Amino acid sequence: MKKSDVVVIGGGLSGLFAAAVAAQNGKKVTVLSYGAGSLTIGGGIVDIMGYADGNVPFATPIEGVKNAPEGHPYTFIGEDTVKEAVEAFKKMASAEGYAYQGSLDEMQWIPTAVGTLKPTALVPRTMDVAKMEAAKKLVVVDLAGLKDFSAPMAAKNLGLLFPNKTIETVKVPELEKSGRDMTAFDTARLLDRADIRTMFAAALKSKAGKDVCFIVPPILGTHASYVAFDDITKQVGAPLVECAAVAPSVTGIRLRELMLSILRKQGVVFIEKANVCGNIVENGKVVAVTTKDFGRQRTYRADEFVLASGGFYGAGITADQENVKEVVFDLPIVAPARVEDWTNAKMFSDAKQPFAMIGIAVNEQLQPVDAEGAVIYPNVRVVGRNLAGYDFCFEKSGNGVALTSAYKAASLIVKGGKA
Amino acid sequence: MSKHVVNPDLCTACTVCVAHCPVAEVVREYRGPKLSGPASERLRLLSPQDDASLDFCSNCKNCDISCPSGVPISTLNMKARAKMWEGKPEPQGRKMMAHGEQMGKLLARFPGAASIVNLGMGLGKSLGMMDMVGISSKAPLPSYASTTFYKQFKSFKQKSFDKKVVFYPGCTINFNQPEIGMDVVKVLQANGYEVLVDEEFVCCGSPLVVGGYLGEANENARKNTSLMNKWRAKGYPVITACTSCGLMLKQEYQELFHHEGMDKNAENIYDIMEFLSMLDDEDKLNTNFGQVNDTMLYHAPCHLRAQGMGLPALDVLSLIPGYRIENAAAGCCGMSGSYGMQANKREISLKVGEKLFNRIRQAGVKSVVSDCGTCRLQIGDGAKVQAIHPVQIVARAYAAK
Repeated sequence: MKKSDVVVIGGGLSGLFAAAVAAQNGKKVTVLSYGAGSLTIGGGIVDIMGYADGNVPFATPIEGVKNAPEGHPYTFIGEDTVKEAVEAFKKMASAEGYAYQGSLDEMQWIPTAVGTLKPTALVPRTMDVAKMEAAKKLVVVDLAGLKDFSAPMAAKNLGLLFPNKTIETVKVPELEKSGRDMTAFDTARLLDRADIRTMFAAALKSKAGKDVCFIVPPILGTHASYVAFDDITKQVGAPLVECAAVAPSVTGIRLRELMLSILRKQGVVFIEKANVCGNIVENGKVVAVTTKDFGRQRTYRADEFVLASGGFYGAGITADQENVKEVVFDLPIVAPARVEDWTNAKMFSDAKQPFAMIGIAVNEQLQPVDAEGAVIYPNVRVVGRNLAGYDFCFEKSGNGVALTSAYKAASLIVKGGKA
Repeated sequence: MSKHVVNPDLCTACTVCVAHCPVAEVVREYRGPKLSGPASERLRLLSPQDDASLDFCSNCKNCDISCPSGVPISTLNMKARAKMWEGKPEPQGRKMMAHGEQMGKLLARFPGAASIVNLGMGLGKSLGMMDMVGISSKAPLPSYASTTFYKQFKSFKQKSFDKKVVFYPGCTINFNQPEIGMDVVKVLQANGYEVLVDEEFVCCGSPLVVGGYLGEANENARKNTSLMNKWRAKGYPVITACTSCGLMLKQEYQELFHHEGMDKNAENIYDIMEFLSMLDDEDKLNTNFGQVNDTMLYHAPCHLRAQGMGLPALDVLSLIPGYRIENAAAGCCGMSGSYGMQANKREISLKVGEKLFNRIRQAGVKSVVSDCGTCRLQIGDGAKVQAIHPVQIVARAYAAK
């Protein structure tokens, strides 16, 4: 492989977005990805910052960014970069025909599969909660054969949250019989088909009317387009709002398709099954990373590197009983000294999980630093879940940190140094 | 000796593989790779389990490609399936397709036999005889060449060079498409390499593995590994031009078998397009190409994507003046070796390939480039276009000078 301007390690949202921003600005980019990335399971909405310590919700996403605790990635990404990143992402998605809505100034409280609400910032049009809030009657769609979604439970819990709204369910017969248990993703695949959409819409129609909003699992098509959604909405004659649900994440798969399509158009080289596990350093700078799997070692040279390999789930950071390790550059990891202190034993308490905040310490240029704050490799930028100091699950900040840190890293690279 | 231990507990049950399985996409009867692979494997380790769903797995490797945890899901499926089929009646079609090499070798011995068999397969299809043994009469079957690659190679006058490589043609190139093998030789010659062949090599074993003949596949692995050891000791790289052979020799051997030297050999085996791309990286590729005024679409075989080397054909072909090629990026073609040739899988196979066929039709190209023989068969049949190996374009570019 010929030398690239930028090599991005990791195929999750932070890696793909960093690659897109760098390529959009004329850089020759190669993405090294192992596995299909966390987008398939992680959800396709962009949380920015939902909850403060103690589980207190922020009024708006930008309030969350402004009040991020010490050491949190937002404190060195900076408010202005967060704003720019959000705009850049929205512009990119919109140009591809799969626009995201929402802003930093308004929290979107989207429904979940169990009928609770979760705070987020940017959502696809299929999750327009304003429609749900405006409606006087919510009708939860109860699809026969669909596992991982209980319409009666969702309806019951939504009733507790919205005592002034009428809550009902509507049964939809099985869209296609036979075979394995039906997931939301299977259903979404069926609804990619026009004939099935007509059948589905017909089942909802009896409950449609003025001031009605349908709450559905994420099933309105698998593609990064609104063709299925718009068609169904038109046929039903009332708004539908998708809720957040379990993996495989339909909205995440759409977002991945969106990002991959952008990268293809920009000529980004995307290498699958690239198990990056080593690096070559010359004169204090990284000149290449290396991959190794079943065959020989392969070398990928570049001027700049973006580390977006993920945390424990993405296997960018691994741990055993004694050691915690970043696998590509062997960067120092910020973690509580005693393994016993990694876990908050009260799993659903008001406090964050220390293990979730384990990651790499960086400076304001997102360059990795050692305990004394000295830069380790000036041409490596660390983004997304590789960063220390935030519990995305607790805060509801995952894709937000991913997008904004990726944007910052790519912008720094494009500008050739300090922002 | 292999560090690639097949451990189902590496699976975190994240479902990425389910979302990326092309068979699960079109067949609801298939429980999907997560359940049939690592999830059931945990149960199978306790006691034997029959899982009818395993029959649907095409071994295309998209589960492995999408898995973030390095679980060899498809290989778990192949092992479990072989075990499930053990001692049960062998369908004739399955047996035939797993042993294509035997047929090829038999035909090569008798002049004119290939054309008679090609005719016979055609007749067999039209009379429905193929369907009776489980081979689809609607599927495109590879036809046999009148002169094998090894025979053609012998009568080809090579220039002698110090730099030598060993070419492993595999069954498809040797028996069905020897012209591709000859282009491999010509292209390597144009780059200052002398090509050796080793007729002791046997089928890589890939069709045997999907047919459930793991014991025979292991024998082939033993034989090929010992020959590869010999060539590695001499310092000669081994070149393949079939991505399924390459995957088998480099990766699946290590997942399935235990023979001394397999892992080291994996480092010494190069796909032809990868080899050319690496020469280009070092500015050693002969880029004295003539114009090839054509626009084509590229289909990346799943068995290439599984190898973590990117798409070297695109890197090399983009250097040819006048030539334009774009990645179809439309997923699996559906053929997956002999999967799409089976009578009860043909429909599934075509459904899987639909996205690719549509993409080809929309692009309006007359030719599609792909590194895999059975992908090319499927593309030719499904999209009604000419399908060629990338090295054939490189050979054409040299010839155009």
